Amino acid sequence: MLDTLKALCALPGVSGMEDAVRAYIRRRAERCADSVKEDVMGNLIVTKRGTKRSGRKLMLAAHMDEVGLMITDITREGYLKFGCVGSIDRRILLGKSVKVGPNLRPGLIGLKAIHLVPKSERDTVPQVQDMYIDVGASSREEAEKLVRLGDTAVFDETAFTFGRMVKAKAIDDRLGCTVLLHLLESELPVDCTFVFTVQEEVGTRGALAAAFRVKPDVALIVEGTTAADLPSVKTNKRICAPGEGVVIPFMDRGTIYDRELYALLTELAERNGIPWQTKTYIAGGTDAAAVQRSVGGVQTAGIAAAVRNIHSPACVAAVDDLQQVYALAYLFLQEMGARYGSL
Amino acid sequence: MNTADVLLRLSETDGPSGFEDRVAKEITKLLAPLTDEVARDVMGNVIGVRRCGRPNARRLLLDAHIDEIGFIVTGYDNGFVRFSVIGGVDARMLPARAIRFLTEPPVRGVIMTLPPHILEEADSDKPFAMDALFVDVGMTDEEVRAALPRGTAAVYDAGAVRLNENVICGKALDDRSCFAVILDALERLRGEDLPVDVYVMASTQEEVGVRGATAGAFAVDPDYAVILDVGHGKTPDASGTGLLEFGGGCGVAVGPNMNRKYTDRILRAAEEKGIPHQIEVIPTGSSGTNARAVQISREGVATALLSLPLKYMHSPSEMVHLADMDACARLLCEAVRAAGEVD
Repeated sequence: MLDTLKALCALPGVSGMEDAVRAYIRRRAERCADSVKEDVMGNLIVTKRGTKRSGRKLMLAAHMDEVGLMITDITREGYLKFGCVGSIDRRILLGKSVKVGPNLRPGLIGLKAIHLVPKSERDTVPQVQDMYIDVGASSREEAEKLVRLGDTAVFDETAFTFGRMVKAKAIDDRLGCTVLLHLLESELPVDCTFVFTVQEEVGTRGALAAAFRVKPDVALIVEGTTAADLPSVKTNKRICAPGEGVVIPFMDRGTIYDRELYALLTELAERNGIPWQTKTYIAGGTDAAAVQRSVGGVQTAGIAAAVRNIHSPACVAAVDDLQQVYALAYLFLQEMGARYGSL
Repeated sequence: MNTADVLLRLSETDGPSGFEDRVAKEITKLLAPLTDEVARDVMGNVIGVRRCGRPNARRLLLDAHIDEIGFIVTGYDNGFVRFSVIGGVDARMLPARAIRFLTEPPVRGVIMTLPPHILEEADSDKPFAMDALFVDVGMTDEEVRAALPRGTAAVYDAGAVRLNENVICGKALDDRSCFAVILDALERLRGEDLPVDVYVMASTQEEVGVRGATAGAFAVDPDYAVILDVGHGKTPDASGTGLLEFGGGCGVAVGPNMNRKYTDRILRAAEEKGIPHQIEVIPTGSSGTNARAVQISREGVATALLSLPLKYMHSPSEMVHLADMDACARLLCEAVRAAGEVD
């Protein structure tokens, strides 16, 4: 699973430009699924039959898109101006390597040398509109050969493991995509629809359309979620911590998760010795917000792995958590089969 | 190996100030075939000499520093590493950045940041303070104390890449690119009858205050010196006077820190040979390079300073232009040939 995660994280997929991620997932899904469809938004909707038919329609969702940049202008000197797609703390942009456009042209978000920074500027952060990407072009004409306006840029894709951790861009939510793919490639206890959504980072826009099409009774959203467990952060604001088990949220800024399913998930984890935690601070949101309110309402739960440095080039997750999230998702499907399934 | 390949190799070899052993080893290998003798002094400087065979020949020192900026472990906090910087690091560039420690094998880590989800909008206006930065190495507190004792050095987890046919982008190009220029010049001068004994110094600890060259120049006791260091290339956020045109040729520094006669002779050669060059005016007594110490070593040294234009100095993505490196190597050859002529 770790290899799948690294491969998925390496692919560019800024919201609205998820093509490479979708193509990868599609290739693998087609080998084991019963149906694979792409909807008009770009969501990938995959069904697979399990041992049992389910009396209640089950949907699992993970989003393919990641936060990133979009090229808005090219200067006379050949530098690229950009805006942010999704929520990015602009402090993490300074001096970072990026890959621009479908051909992944290497570039750099420039920041003048420290020697040239006057004291009055040391304690400030340039505005995004004052930042620029240097792709090594020496004129607008040269840059235009490499980049088009509206191209997206992703953070450098280098991924590696260190200690108990894995570092990559876009772990939010390629981790969810990884878990869903590996479930798809497993024997399923019950029929299930897997939805790989687009545009989560710009307002859970893909999931809305996908849920409307699938019309599930029960949905499980699989995510990489915000961890802030640093020594400088007060205890409750740490939210959750990598390596301390599957995150089962009861509430975030977008959703109050279904109480029955929340209780079920925590109980399944307890009963099967899967370490779990919940979020100690109400922050963030997921596709659950869109899915829960779609059609006539959907019973919606979430599970996630805790991710440090989320929405940055260096997201960090615990390798063990990946397996644990998969295990709990599988137990959840088993339980759904036992409760609502028939042969 | 061509100059670009030499630079790529030197860039990925780690050597922050005071910890230059690895890069010094590489340098010794590269320097040996081009000189009569190579040795390392007590400060760690690598010094090679190519003798001209004349009795009582005058001595010319060519210097480029081989240390780079970096980090050093100062303590621990719940498994995270606390660190300080070696040399001029802009702390604004550090959050969500990977670094590697000079252990065997190298331990990698990620500098932590906080997720936008728990930040207020105004938080992004102020950079993270150094004491709010931690490195995650994926270990427990006990493990990290054993693996990374206080005083362990680290560098940006980067090497260099060719951005396009002209531009190389990576870490430690300050000042390894200039050492690559010296090697290139020695290659071009191979077999040529030279007017002086040429000493080549790969100096240490420049980034923390020109320390290696201070001792090294005293030992070599040269009559002339050419210091090669990088100079700031213009970027959209840095375009004031005194900055170099990127791709505009070799910078020739003019000012009190540089010997006027030798500098004028070099400029004349540049004109005569049609070598692309630009004047870098440095009105201060110190150029901020090894020229600061070498010029006033012992009874004074006729010192010139050649500046290779470089963008984003002290970032992991410094950029140099291969045409500028070529111009610097050509002009350096002229400076060597002319060394005997200046009194």
